[in-house]
Order: sequence, then structure tokens, then C-alpha cells
Amino acid sequence: MDIISNLAFGFGVALSFQNVLFALIGALIGTAIGVLPGIGPVATISLLLPITFGQPATTAIIMLAGIYYGAQYGGSTTAILLNLPGEISSVVTTLEGYKMARNGRAGAALATSALGSFFAGSVATIFVAGSGPLLTQVALSFGPADYFSLMLLGLIISAVLAQGSVVKAIAMVALGVALGLVGTDVQTGQQRFTFGIPELSDGISFVALAMGMFGIAEIILNLERPESRSVLKTKVGSLWLTKEEWKRATPSVLRGTALGSVLGILPGGGAALSSFGSYMLERKVSKGRHLFGSGAIEGVAGPEAANNAAAQTSFIPLLTLGIPSNAVMALMVGALIIQGIQPGPRMVEAQPDLFWGLIASMWIGNVMLLVINLPMIGMWVKLLQVPYKFLYPAILVFCAIGAYSVNNNVFDVYSTAMFAVIGYLFNKLRLEPAPLLIGFVLGPMMEEHLRRAMLLSRGDPMIFVQRPISATMLAIGAVALAAMLLPNLRKGKDAALAG
Amino acid sequence: MSGILPRRALLVGSAALALPLAAPAQTAPAFPGQPIRLVVPFAPGGTTDLVARLLSQGLQDQLGQPVIIENRAGAGATVGSLAVAQAAPDGHTLLMSNIASQGVAPSLYRSLRYDALRDFTHIALVVDNPLAFLANPRFPATTLADVVRLSREDARGIDIASSGSGSTNHLLILQFGQATGAHVNHVPYRGAGPAMTDTIAGVVPMMSDSLPSAAAHIRAGSVRPLALSAGTRHPAFPAVPTFREQGVDLVSTSWFGLSGPAGLPPAVTERLGRAAAAVLADPALRARFAEIGGTVGALGPDGYTEFVRAEIARWAPVVQASGAQVD
Repeated sequence: MDIISNLAFGFGVALSFQNVLFALIGALIGTAIGVLPGIGPVATISLLLPITFGQPATTAIIMLAGIYYGAQYGGSTTAILLNLPGEISSVVTTLEGYKMARNGRAGAALATSALGSFFAGSVATIFVAGSGPLLTQVALSFGPADYFSLMLLGLIISAVLAQGSVVKAIAMVALGVALGLVGTDVQTGQQRFTFGIPELSDGISFVALAMGMFGIAEIILNLERPESRSVLKTKVGSLWLTKEEWKRATPSVLRGTALGSVLGILPGGGAALSSFGSYMLERKVSKGRHLFGSGAIEGVAGPEAANNAAAQTSFIPLLTLGIPSNAVMALMVGALIIQGIQPGPRMVEAQPDLFWGLIASMWIGNVMLLVINLPMIGMWVKLLQVPYKFLYPAILVFCAIGAYSVNNNVFDVYSTAMFAVIGYLFNKLRLEPAPLLIGFVLGPMMEEHLRRAMLLSRGDPMIFVQRPISATMLAIGAVALAAMLLPNLRKGKDAALAG
Repeated sequence: MSGILPRRALLVGSAALALPLAAPAQTAPAFPGQPIRLVVPFAPGGTTDLVARLLSQGLQDQLGQPVIIENRAGAGATVGSLAVAQAAPDGHTLLMSNIASQGVAPSLYRSLRYDALRDFTHIALVVDNPLAFLANPRFPATTLADVVRLSREDARGIDIASSGSGSTNHLLILQFGQATGAHVNHVPYRGAGPAMTDTIAGVVPMMSDSLPSAAAHIRAGSVRPLALSAGTRHPAFPAVPTFREQGVDLVSTSWFGLSGPAGLPPAVTERLGRAAAAVLADPALRARFAEIGGTVGALGPDGYTEFVRAEIARWAPVVQASGAQVD
């Protein structure tokens, strides 16, 4: 009953005119910057922070939170329409979403993304309200060995479920891991593969890599084959979901919500895993798994739900431990401290209006995003009818601004251009960039956790099987590998016998 | 006809009026004549960013121009520092200088592309804060003597986490090991946040952190402070003893200041120094800095330049002894 009275209190705070207004403003700004490729919530929030100084802390944080999940929504729009992922979570959305758009189902993909995100956001909000403090214990029970095994599992599954050639997928994952290792070694402080360029000492920019390899490489390809642009231009199709699409998307949304809610709690990159994880799960278990690669709605519905659920539950470490789980959360901590509030374990008791008001506003924010986004789908789809010769220079300009805005550094704009050329070559060689990005994101985290676990165990590798969470992950990974290899072996044997 | 003459007279008159105003403008153009960029060489959300944002509000009121924070993170704060060193010395591009990029980097980076003293005009020391040794509340040590004893009893030594290799937090761990003979095993993290998570969870028993980033967790009781590295106790945490009080002769503070490129006109430096001093005299801001674990610095241009010089000299042997070196 506590939850209900607490939530009622929270809604009382969040539903004040001022707070609703700022939730709306936040959601609008967030959607807008999400739609602009590469301009992420971090750059926007740091620009807008001064505006929040004059407001009450609750209002400020409600607006910033609105920007954060608004950006998650908006990011999916460009991922689906233009194959432009601005952040890790929308890389996965491009895989099936952009294919759906090319098949004339852009409207359906956008609607699925909006509705799936709304559902997942609502469920995750209740999850946060009901068991936030309890879930903190889950987050704290993950040690370095457990994180390593979780990410290893993620990599194994990504290779197992790759489209097309498994060898090529593994090669791309390995290349991604190698690219991820560029920069300063966390353990020793040594520079690796930076060639004396100071801008590389913190690693290759994710935004540059993702926008270059996906979005801009796609522009080069489109310019090369004019006919593909006309497909995009003429076939817009129905904006709404068909009955069959509803039926296919619903179970995926449910699975994605569950997966995202759980992984979002982990402060060490759990949220990044959620959309990858959901995509892989859908490819394995959903009814439409044979359609993956050609625009399967399940591949949009699941990851979009997972990513939004994770965005909500990633507030748990911040609200209950005072530890930010990503750069956006770190900025929110900064905003709170400037307001004179120290986020930490005592925030629930010390600032109940802030804590419960924020949780209630998460849901209100989700409603607003739905209200903003559903009617706009028609407008977004119309964007595809803009002649490409006008559209692509605009995209390029926004990508350049976006890449620059991450660190205010021109170097990142050059890297984006370079990765665009590489992405184009990969496409010609039929190499998929998605596994490369998975390796790029997970590789350095895996290395860090592996070496930390070994440092703490004084070099004893048994730590990975002695810890129950780690052991479980490794066991699942082994089963997944076996499940992939055995049928292939059998097939190979059959072929050998037939031959 | 009659209308022209007065107009011409007016023009001549106004030119004559403008002359005495324009003359000093040639020697010292009105400062600040445009918005000021304050470069923070770290990502938004950290302590440096926080200090800069609190400072920028006051500077804006003092100078009558917007002060815009620009985060240029990278390479241990040296990317942002280099950008300011290379900017036009007109006072419109300033740096949140700090112990990492101005104190430790000269010894840590073999090929640093700026001179932390000669390539900057140092204007004011803003905040100075102690570092803290923290322990998981279930860890049996309550004093530094306990830590030394426990580290010797365990053949594997004692794990102490920090925000990263080459950070001041890391160097404090090394200094502690050298001063006491404790068997310490440094566990570096990517930033203070993940290190704090693992200390609270008990994955590592101890960590070294700057007081502002640890303050909330100390107040909440999720970590236990063992010692602070300033010369005297901190007013916000009067119960926490210093290293010195516990017989370990270590004084090491983390600091942030305001600097510009080398060759700022003296009038501009003076104007900025006065503005910073006025902002830092504000009791509300002083209280805010104290609350987050800082101590307001009271050094102007000359004092801060000497301070930076002394810090560079102080860190050189520590970094050398640590063996840490970045190309």
C-alpha cells in the first residue's frame, strides 16, 4: 500500500502546472535533439543547465529527465527513417527499422517504436517505484567477474545470431573490440594505438563511428544508386499498424520490457546491453524470426521497449546510491548539487517530493511523448518525400554539428568522415557494421572488468566460476555456443555422409 | 540650408566628444566586450564542471557578460588546457585550470604540448579540497594504523580503488604506501563513480577519492572516512582526522583555478582577478563550496602563479617514484 500512497504523493507533486509544463518542454526539446543526428542529450543538458538554476530542484530535474527520454524517442526516428543512429541503443533500431522504412512501412515502424516505448516506460516506472531500493542490492551484487561474464555472454550471442556469414560476423566483432581498445589503458595509464594524437587518448568517439558507418555511408550508397531513393520516395504506405503487425509486435514488446527493466539497473553498461540483448532474443524466439534482415517488426518492437525500460530503471542507481550510471545521469547529479541537494541513499527520506515527483513525472513524460510523437509520424514520413538532393546535405551538416558537439572538437568531425568511407567499403564487401559496434562497445568494458577481476583475485581465474552470477552467465554462454555449433556439426556430418 | 549647418556642427561635436572616450579604448579595449568561454577540460557532471558552473554564475554578474561553459574533455584534461593555451589572449577564453592539467601533467606526460606555467596567465585559485581515504563500513579498519596492520597481516596486501591511473587519488595511495610501508594494491577505475560503487558493495575494501565527490556518501554512512589529506580538519567534517594527526606526514589537496592564455593584458588579468575575488567573497557561494567539501582559495594572479609553480615541483618526485609515465 506504501507504493500507492507514495505514487499518489508523487503525482500530486508532478501534476502541478509548472511541473507538467516543464515535463512537456523537456520532452519536446528531447525529441527535437533526438531527431537531429548526433546531437545527444549530454550536449543539450549541459547547455540548458543554467536555465534550471532559477527553478525549484524538482522542476529542474523533471525537465532534464524529459530531455533524456525524449532524446531516446527522437533518436529512434532518425534511426528508422535515415539509418542514422545517434546513440548505442538506436544502432539496433536501424537494423530492422530502416528496412521497414524502405519497404514502405516507416509509419508502422515509428508507431511501434512509440507505443512499445510507452508501454515499457509505464511498466518500468511502476517497477522503479515498487522495488527501487530493493533493486539496489541487485546492482551492488554484480562484481567485476560478473560483469565480465555478462558481457562475454552478450558477445557470444551476438556472434551466434549474426546475419549472413558467421565468420565475417566474428571478424567484425573482433575488429570492433580492437577499435574499442584505442586510447588510454585504464590499468596502467599507457596509451594504446593513439599515434601521438591527444584526441585519441580517450578512445574513438562512438558518435563518430556510428554516424559515419551507418548514416553517412548510407548516404554515399544512396547517391550511388538513384533508384533506391525513389523507392523511399514513392512507397510511404499506411501509417498505422496492421492487425497482423500488432499481433507480432506485442509479445516482443513484453519480452523487451522485461529484459530492459532488469539490465537497466546495472550501473556498468547494462543499459547498452538491453537493446542488443532484446534484438538477439527476438531473432531467436519470435514468430517472425525468419523475416529478420528484411524488416521484421519484432526487431523494432523488442529493442525499442527494452531501451526505454532500461532508460527508466537506470535512474535506480542514481536515486538510491547517488551514483550516476551514464553521462546524462552524471549531469543530473551536477544539476542537483548546484541546487544544493546531494543525491545519495538518503534522498528518498530527505527529499521525498523530488524522489516520488520524479518517478511520477517519468510516466507523465511518457504520456507526453506519445502525444507528441503519434501525430507527428505522418510529418516524419513526409520528410522522406523531400527530394534527396535537399535532404542529404542537411543530414551531413547536422551530422557534422552533432559529431563536433560531443567534445567541441573538430577532430571528431574528421573521424566521422573517415568512418563513412570505411562504412561504404564494408558495405561493398558485405560486412555488417552492427557486430563491429557491439564489439566496440562491449570489448573495452569486458577488458576492464576482466583485468580488474584478475587484479582483485591476484591472478586466479577461478574467480569466474566461483561467483554464482558469473558462473551462471558462463554456463548460459556455453549452452548458446553449443546450440549453435551442434546443428552445424550435424549438418556438416550429414553433408559429408551424403557426399 | 539652415538645417545642414547645425547637423554638421552636431557631428563635429559628437566626434569631439567621442575622442576622449576612444583614446583609452585604443590602449585597453573595453573588457569584456563579448561573451566569455570558460573551458572545462573534463566531461560535464564532475567536480571541475560543478565548480566552474558555480563560479560562472557569479562571474557573469560581476563582468556583465555571459560566461559560457565549454566542456572539452580528453587526455587527463590536457586537450582542453592546450586549446586555451593556443587561444587569443584577450580574456574571452578562460580555463578551469586544475591539479591534473597544471600540477601533475607536466611530470606525467612525456610529450605535453604546453608549459603549465609559461603558456598560461594564472588568475585566481578558486577552490582547494582535501582527498579522503574511505572504507566500506564492514571493513574492520577505523584508523590508518589499522590499515597498515591489516595490509601486513594479509599476504595479498590491501586493495585500494581510485578514479584512475595517474590521478591524484592514485598518487595519494602510492604516497601512503611509501610513507607507511603498508602493502597496498592499487585498483584503478574509469572515474570515481564506478570505484565508489564497488567500495560501497565491498568488492574493494577501500578507496581514495576527492572530498567533494565522496561527501554525500560519507554523510549517508555508505562509506566510512578514515582520513583527510588537508593540513587541518575540514569544517564540514570535523570528526574526520587528517593524515598528519594519525602520524602519516601527507598533505595533498586537489585544486581548481581560473587561468587564461599567456600574455593576457595586465588590465584584463586584474579585472578578472578582481571579479573572481568578489565572487569568492560571497558567503552563500563559500557555504556551498564548504558543503561539498571544498575550501575557497584566496590567491590572486601572483599568488596562484607561485602556487602552480610549487605544485609542479612538488608532484615531480611523486610521479617519478610512482613509475607512472604517459607518452
